[in-house]
Amino acid sequence: GAKHASTPADNYHLARRRTLQVVVSSLLTEAGFESAEKAAVETLTEMLQSYISEIGRSAKSYCEHTARTQPTLSDIVVTLVEMGFNVETLPAYAKRSQRMVITAPPVTNQPVTPKALTAGQNKPHPSHIPGHFPEFPDPHTYIKTPTYREPVSDYQVLREKAASQRRDVERALTRFMAKTGETQSLFKDDVSTFPLIAARPFTVPYLTALLPSELEMQQMEETDSSEQDDQTDTENLPLHMSTDDSGPEKENASVLQQNTSLSGSRNGEENVIDNPYLRPVKKPKIRRKK
Amino acid sequence: RMNRKKGDKGFESPRPYKFTTHQVVCINNISFQRKSVVGYVELTIFPTVANLNRIKLNSKQCRIYRVRVNDLEAAFIYNDPTLEVCHNESKQRNLNYFSNAYAAAVSAVDPDAGNGELCIKVPSELWKHVDELKVLKVHINFSLDQPEGGLHFVVPNMEGNMAERGAHVFSCGYQNSTRFWFPCVDSYSELCTWKLEYTVDAAMVAVSNGDLVETVYTHDMRKKTFHYMLTIPTAASNISLAIGPFEILVDPYMHEVTHFCLPQLLPLLKHTTSYLHEVFEFYEEILTCRYPYSCFKTVFIDEAYVEVAAYASMSIFSTNLLHSAMIIDETPLTRRCLAQALAQQFFGCFISRMSWSDEWVLKGISGYIYGLWMKKTFGVNEYRHWIKQELDQIVAYELKTGGVLLHPIFGGGKEKDNPASHLHFSIKHPHTLSWEYYTMFQCKAHLVMRLIENRISMEFMLQVFNKLLSLASTASSQKFQSHMWSQMLVSTSGFLKSISNVSGKDIQPLIKQWVDQSGVVKFYGSFAFNRKRNVLELEIKQDYTSPGTQKYVGPLKVTVQELDGSFNHTLQIEENSLKHDIPCHSKSRRNKKKKIPLMNGEEVDMDLSAMDADSPLLWIRIDPDMSVLRKVEFEQSDFMWQYQLRYERDVVAQEEAILALEKFPTPASRLALTDILEQEQCFYRVRMLACFCLAKIANSMVSTWTGPPAMKSLFTRMFCCKTCPNIVKTNNFMNFQSYFLQKTMPVAMALLRDVHNLCPKEVLMFILDLIKYNDNRKNKFSDNYYRAELIDALANSVTPAVSVNNEVRTLDNLNPDVRLILEEITRFLNMEKLLPSYRHTITVSCLKAIRVLQKNGHVPSDPALFKSYAEYGHFIDIRIAALEAVVDYTK
Repeated sequence: GAKHASTPADNYHLARRRTLQVVVSSLLTEAGFESAEKAAVETLTEMLQSYISEIGRSAKSYCEHTARTQPTLSDIVVTLVEMGFNVETLPAYAKRSQRMVITAPPVTNQPVTPKALTAGQNKPHPSHIPGHFPEFPDPHTYIKTPTYREPVSDYQVLREKAASQRRDVERALTRFMAKTGETQSLFKDDVSTFPLIAARPFTVPYLTALLPSELEMQQMEETDSSEQDDQTDTENLPLHMSTDDSGPEKENASVLQQNTSLSGSRNGEENVIDNPYLRPVKKPKIRRKK
Repeated sequence: RMNRKKGDKGFESPRPYKFTTHQVVCINNISFQRKSVVGYVELTIFPTVANLNRIKLNSKQCRIYRVRVNDLEAAFIYNDPTLEVCHNESKQRNLNYFSNAYAAAVSAVDPDAGNGELCIKVPSELWKHVDELKVLKVHINFSLDQPEGGLHFVVPNMEGNMAERGAHVFSCGYQNSTRFWFPCVDSYSELCTWKLEYTVDAAMVAVSNGDLVETVYTHDMRKKTFHYMLTIPTAASNISLAIGPFEILVDPYMHEVTHFCLPQLLPLLKHTTSYLHEVFEFYEEILTCRYPYSCFKTVFIDEAYVEVAAYASMSIFSTNLLHSAMIIDETPLTRRCLAQALAQQFFGCFISRMSWSDEWVLKGISGYIYGLWMKKTFGVNEYRHWIKQELDQIVAYELKTGGVLLHPIFGGGKEKDNPASHLHFSIKHPHTLSWEYYTMFQCKAHLVMRLIENRISMEFMLQVFNKLLSLASTASSQKFQSHMWSQMLVSTSGFLKSISNVSGKDIQPLIKQWVDQSGVVKFYGSFAFNRKRNVLELEIKQDYTSPGTQKYVGPLKVTVQELDGSFNHTLQIEENSLKHDIPCHSKSRRNKKKKIPLMNGEEVDMDLSAMDADSPLLWIRIDPDMSVLRKVEFEQSDFMWQYQLRYERDVVAQEEAILALEKFPTPASRLALTDILEQEQCFYRVRMLACFCLAKIANSMVSTWTGPPAMKSLFTRMFCCKTCPNIVKTNNFMNFQSYFLQKTMPVAMALLRDVHNLCPKEVLMFILDLIKYNDNRKNKFSDNYYRAELIDALANSVTPAVSVNNEVRTLDNLNPDVRLILEEITRFLNMEKLLPSYRHTITVSCLKAIRVLQKNGHVPSDPALFKSYAEYGHFIDIRIAALEAVVDYTK
């Protein structure tokens, strides 16, 4: 029960509720009660409201079940039957003599649901959709309204940031490496100002020197897909066989990958590349022992 | 004797016997642990004279166990005189004495003189057999332990079996050095067919010459034997071998071509060799001749002796030529190596030579057709630039050392007949030469081929090559017939005869000048314009008395660019005439609006205000086609050089003009250089050269220089962001011309000096900013070479430290600018340990820069760092840079 400023919608609902209370009270009076506790009236009002709401909800369901939008009398009747109410008794009850007449609730306009997001006009139905179908939802439910934050337009700042960030990372990383490992120095008296990570020979020096680092490979893929240049990708032709891990069996079983378009254009009908290095290794001849 | 024969008798062997059918080489055990080889050879020998009782063969460092001739044990003597060149007892200890003794030792085992280290006695039981000139089979069992040459083992010191470790072995060496790994007649002129067998670990591949016939497992299935047959008659010196756990790539364009590389490098191999088929197509087309062998193999190995080595039907390359698609700079270099190797397949491997004095023909032709490939692939500009570079090199070398002789003829062996007495070594044998001499020899050989082309036309030239190849090809398919096989050997006389038959021209004077004698020509030119006669009075002097020079007599082309057009004149250079009058076509009265026609037919507007009002001469060029092996020092006014730079379309002329302008530090020179630098149509190498000239000029003009430091605003305009000119754009190297310029300009700018002879602070900060803002994330290409050159630029900016009383260099008195530089070098060098760059270009530049800092007294001069980088196990480029730094301490 927090008090808050009443809106038109609240007023509307309160008025309806008050009418329901009047209805309950008059029915109680009709039934012979002279007074009732507020809580009891409240409870009964609640029950009545639920009952009426259920009739409405159920009737709407029946209506929609038959593909209509407006409930008809028969929907109400079916609903009442379904709720266990004897409909036949209703006309007689409505015309009972001792019934009390209550004043109609004050005419208050149904509060207009405030158009919170009027993002344009509702779309009318296209011609092939019958008019009784539900309207399109409000545009705001499906229209994209991108919002822009003012971009950091200062290119210089961005580059500056990227550059100094990279530099900081590099410096921190190399300093860390230098601190944790062996170092060399250009100055005998000072080994910490310009610490050089010690030169360490490799067992296979050409591998690190020639193979692109993973970072570069990744970068190569990215730039390859983003840029369209007309380089022929002959290097992608999968015509190769690697024997690095081939034991005897493996090599015998090796099957050539064949690029059909290439062999088609170059070699006509020929389908198998006849290269002596791809031929299987022969089993040794059995020599007769003398 | 081996001198060229007159007439057409064909080739005569120095030996009293010939090889027949083929030679067998069988290596049945190779141990990588012990670095040893065990095998046998079997030579089939055909006596050509009766009473042959000794057979001399070549063999070095092999241990010979047993020799049998026709299954009979034979006695043999093994003596290698090159192992002890100067005997202990000799008193003389000087280079001259050594050189003579060494030449004598090499001569004593020279196969081309019928000699050898191994002398086999024919068993007396066979003498009758020999007298009937019947075939002898010589079977030699040998082994080789820890070879010091000829065969190189690479065995990485790590865990795993040999294949996992990437252990490999390959044959290598300079000239004929096959005797290092099996007994043979180690001569380029003794041809035979071959059967080669190698038994290796099952995980290894043996690559050798000819066709791989079959691969068979040994009985225990742990090894396999590779059987090769080479049916094209081939010299032992062209036999090669590579064994290793290679990855195999069948060339997708040519299935008879197979490429091999060490484990893990297959992606690089694919990219690197993807271009090779184009080279094949080019050579086959110009030579109108199929590639002579039925297959071709390329093997990329580590610790290569030379970057490119060509052998019959295979080439062995350094693995360091392999590169990925991201690498720009290495790509043309590697392609050039591939093209060189392939040219030598035709001339050098398939066609061999009769004697050492015919070597120039083979090197000349292979170098020449390689040049044609260069021209087609990289364009005329690159080709002419290369020819000029080669010409400058040979001229400088000959002037320094006294001459390179292409076709030495040796008389009776007397010392006074020595045609190379100016050298400290004998040129009688390939093995007594200095390496540098041999490099220059090859350079001169291809330049002389080009001179022959100039004389007889390229068409005739190619016809001659085609003729040599088709004769050889016919001969190669013949069964043993020695006189036919000699068609596969080229000789100087045969080559010249072929030229005269095909072209009908007499090129004897040209040959006499450039082939039969050494030396280059040194011209000095100057001119005066005679207004009255409207004649250009040209004076051309020669220096033919200095070492390495020779006198030139004959035609010389001079091109004169006048107002009315470009005119060629052919002068006759004669004994006593120095002055040449050349009539001019144009009047000096000039029509200002008229366009000037250039040599190539183009007509251009020129601002003629700079020129001499009385003369119609714009510029003059002596021997513009480089048809003489010469050096020209020509004097013309600065404005003429400027016109030549701006308007002459030949890149060689532009480069000459740039070099000449160094002597004219004027605003006009500055403008001409800046304009050429900005001109995008201009050849990128010219623009690069202009950068360095501009730096020199700016330094000479330092007191009057106006505006920002040279090249800075141009660099900013070309490579920096429009909105913030101090920040370089993110890298995009798609345009290679700009890329090379972007790399070069900072290096040249760092050479700028202010009035105090210091690099201007503005320039240093500019370079530091380039490093700081360098961003390669969006680039398709690696920036390793660019970053390396930025470090080179930092090194170039260093000037000598101001030292007070030779104080000890410590951190406290470090110059603040040097501190900034050192900061960068430290970071770069350390980052290399974490993210190494391709070929460690950045480490190399850092080491060089550190040496510069030491030399200029900013950092204590201590070789410890370089010594550690020079150790085995570092990449070869790093070791070389480190060793160069260490050697620098001695200078």
